[in-house]
Amino acid sequence: MASSLTWTLPGTWPLRTVTQPMRPVEPGLADLDERALVEACLRGQSAAFDVIVERHRRSVYLLCYRFVSNHEDASDLSQDVFLRAYRGLRSFRGQSSLATWLYRIGVNVCLNRLSAKKPLSESIADRQFVDETAESATDRLLKDERGARVRAAIAQLPRKQRATLVLRMYHEMSHQEIADVLGSSVGAVKANFFHALSNLKKMLGGEVL
Amino acid sequence: MHLRPDELIDLAEGTGAELSATHLAECAVCRLHLAELKATISAAADVDVPEPSPLFWDHFSARVRQAVDAEGAPRRSFWTWPSVVIPAISIATAVLAVAVTLTRGRAEPGIAPLPSVAPAPVALPVASVDLLADPQSAGDTALTLVAELSSDMDFETAREAGLAARGSAEHAVTHLAGSELRELQRLLQEELARSGA
Repeated sequence: MASSLTWTLPGTWPLRTVTQPMRPVEPGLADLDERALVEACLRGQSAAFDVIVERHRRSVYLLCYRFVSNHEDASDLSQDVFLRAYRGLRSFRGQSSLATWLYRIGVNVCLNRLSAKKPLSESIADRQFVDETAESATDRLLKDERGARVRAAIAQLPRKQRATLVLRMYHEMSHQEIADVLGSSVGAVKANFFHALSNLKKMLGGEVL
Repeated sequence: MHLRPDELIDLAEGTGAELSATHLAECAVCRLHLAELKATISAAADVDVPEPSPLFWDHFSARVRQAVDAEGAPRRSFWTWPSVVIPAISIATAVLAVAVTLTRGRAEPGIAPLPSVAPAPVALPVASVDLLADPQSAGDTALTLVAELSSDMDFETAREAGLAARGSAEHAVTHLAGSELRELQRLLQEELARSGA
């Protein structure tokens, strides 16, 4: 199916109109494992990279969002992560999982961005797409506000502490995996995690805890 | 002596050592630290990221696809390019082996001093013939093999093949001054005597 899609994103999301021919996923590509997908990309099957993007886009976006706390930057950073991954695909040797490799790129991209630009936190209105099922509007609002405070506090943490906390708390990576991603030792990761939590507690005080 | 940060983190994550747990039972300060850590972890864990709309993901994939299409094929990294690295290493090794073989053939004790190599480019066939004519070289199978292989190779061909590229070991050996060549001969003899060769 070679149809053409044109759409405009609604509401507070970035208003961008995209006209891009759909590239059908070749039969069998979706069933390939990571290594086979990478090899297919290197052979020139760019549709294989679409599959990689589809599998990992959400986790990469969430990682970026945890760093910058706003949709616009998280979206741009996620795109940058995949572009860098594509450029460096030949250097992926399969020693770690593709997800870990993408996280490593993502953390570097985010840390570089943090040193270049002060992140903007999102407004309450930007969070209208949160799933609101099974919770009352009041509960949801309170939780949102509490979440916004915690995210703002996380955004104030030093870069390595923030990276450690994000990877450990929200991506459930082991201390060893985080050490690999950040290029440090397990001991340093645990120390960074400890200091991140201590600083977070100081910033939040008793209002959230 | 209180628990270290890494020990407190291990306890907060439920992987603490028994020794740490024993200390914890006796130390109110560490218990307080641990309770605060757990409360902070709990508060941080309860924070959602706003989930983008399903439309966003299609839009995002399209943007990545556009960027990737504009990028072209993934780049080939030099260091992961075996077809470049392996031949380069092979040529460098071959050049070094030839240089050492030629020098060793000349470096027998009691042999008349080596003729100094002129700094001007010397055609390989001439050098090979001269060496073969040397009675001390008779029976040197390695030298004979090299001479046969290079018998119809002129200097330009050798240079184009990278055998005597400026800066290479072969280039350096064939462009040594007489005194430098004698010093090299002395050093090699010392080395050979030491290794018992």
